[in-house]
Amino acid sequence: MISLTSPVETRAHAWPAGAKLGGLCLATAALFYLDSLALIAAVAVLILTLYSLPGRSFMASGLRRLARLWPFLIVVIAWAAIEGRPAHGLGIALRMISAVALANLVTMTTRLTDMVDVVAFLCRPFRRLGLQTRALEIAIALVIRMTPVLLDRAEDLMQAWRARSRRRPGWRIILPFTLLAFDDAERVSEALKARGGLISNKET
Amino acid sequence: MERNVAMIALFAALIAVLGLVPPIILAFGVPVTAQSLGVMLAGTVLGARRGVMAVLLFVGLVALGLPLLAGGRGGLGVFASPTVGYLVGFPVAAFVTGWIVEHWRGANLALVAGFAAVVGGIGIDHAFGVVGMAVVLDRSLAEAALLTAAFIPGDLLKAAIAGMLTAALARARPGSVPSRANV
Amino acid sequence: MLGVLDLDLDVGRLGVVGRNGSGKSTLTRLLAGLVCPTSGTVRLNGIDPAADRRAALAEVGILFQNPDHQLIFPTVLEEIAFGLGQQSLSRAEAEAEARRMLEKFGRVHWAGASVATLSHGQKHLVCLISVVAMAPRLLVLDEPFAGLDIPTKMQLSRHLRRFEGNVLHVSHDPADLGDCDRVLWLDEGRICMVGPAEQVLPEYIAAMNDLGRNHDLADLPG
Repeated sequence: MISLTSPVETRAHAWPAGAKLGGLCLATAALFYLDSLALIAAVAVLILTLYSLPGRSFMASGLRRLARLWPFLIVVIAWAAIEGRPAHGLGIALRMISAVALANLVTMTTRLTDMVDVVAFLCRPFRRLGLQTRALEIAIALVIRMTPVLLDRAEDLMQAWRARSRRRPGWRIILPFTLLAFDDAERVSEALKARGGLISNKET
Repeated sequence: MERNVAMIALFAALIAVLGLVPPIILAFGVPVTAQSLGVMLAGTVLGARRGVMAVLLFVGLVALGLPLLAGGRGGLGVFASPTVGYLVGFPVAAFVTGWIVEHWRGANLALVAGFAAVVGGIGIDHAFGVVGMAVVLDRSLAEAALLTAAFIPGDLLKAAIAGMLTAALARARPGSVPSRANV
Repeated sequence: MLGVLDLDLDVGRLGVVGRNGSGKSTLTRLLAGLVCPTSGTVRLNGIDPAADRRAALAEVGILFQNPDHQLIFPTVLEEIAFGLGQQSLSRAEAEAEARRMLEKFGRVHWAGASVATLSHGQKHLVCLISVVAMAPRLLVLDEPFAGLDIPTKMQLSRHLRRFEGNVLHVSHDPADLGDCDRVLWLDEGRICMVGPAEQVLPEYIAAMNDLGRNHDLADLPG
């Protein structure tokens, strides 16, 4: 499964993931307390500069992810303009872009395994309360492994549909698809069991 | 135990795949991705506990940076965007949906599941969604609700489908729908 | 699926033949401890594989027919290390051992590869390496060659032949079982015949050809 981590190696890839996430939380909270348009604009320019540092392809893929916000930007800016306070609308729009851009930046520069390690670290106190962290780790791996498999199955089903129908697959295809997922769950639990299942390494 | 983990993980993957397959054309020619349908099904089929875990797993993996949301979106950015409320509301929606299906026995399963999907998948999830949108866009709740009202008809349709699918699943695999396993 | 089966087996390489639905798969799942018998007992060297999972891991490993049903983890190294971790190795030890196994099979460069990008035959090999890494005394093969092309089949069976422990090889195709010491023929959940391969297989082939001429797929199961 392809993750959203950028293949362009940046210096930030090597920074500890926990620090990046903590910084992101603080920065996002601070951003929502900023009121002056000038300050918000300055932050936006700063973040844009961060995007430009690792090079053109990094920046392009970063901007492409931001482009999905356009319907909201139009709504916010147009609505505020109609109400006669365009500066306010611009401020909200820039703040939104900055917050999303900053969060995307962390995602783009942090490997999935590092993220999972942070989650495991955060879960540690709960282990004493009986949380099965082992089950969580296996479940995460299973989703990453099975999503492409299920996607293939869905495409096979749709082809089987098209082979005997003039129309595009409708919602009815979700029934057999869910049944396939049920069967897969059954087999995966067998595969887990065949190699020891969830017996955790309490001894180690 | 293995079966539960596998079922939860597979359902999380199912929610992802329902968002990634090309939008299915529902009645009236409205293209809708089936992702929120997946969340409703997690509740109606898996029940409250397992449903909430499957959806939490899905939302958690989106946060960790996997492109599992409709259209291949994902990462922390979606938690700062105007639609954040819908995402945060997903687990709660699945829980409420599942709770209703587990507790309201006796009536026709398709009806109960459809009703549960309306309450959880639409009522609860839109409540979260509207709050999120109001905060991020700096609008009042009423204004935010107005912006999202356009999606309600499509969601009603999805809730109806979730009801029918749940009943059909229970018929196709008697005993394998965990939310009603001990009926 | 499986009727009365009173068997005491002690062979290096045992083949199991039978038609679809004859109970072959049920036999493999019983032996691997994936299902409990509805009545009766299963013992492998004295242990109950369904109840004592920890001991069962050292006794028996199973290779599924479809590798996509067996592979649990997204990358090759994680997949191989998983089973080792289940045998009480620490994560670092398990990964080191997994690398050693990949080296043994000459596939070190696969360690970080995504399982989803492998070919069908390559996935099969990853499954085999994962199971062999756990060093079970008995390796159960459930139709491992179904759907493989001829070169892939030959390559995989070469790797299988190198396995030093006992092997139970289930197949509907007698051609796969030529190098087994003994063959068990199951029919409708019962033993039809047990004996040396060169004795059982010709009888099986003759009977199957006979059925193929007469039957017309009319009977419903059950």
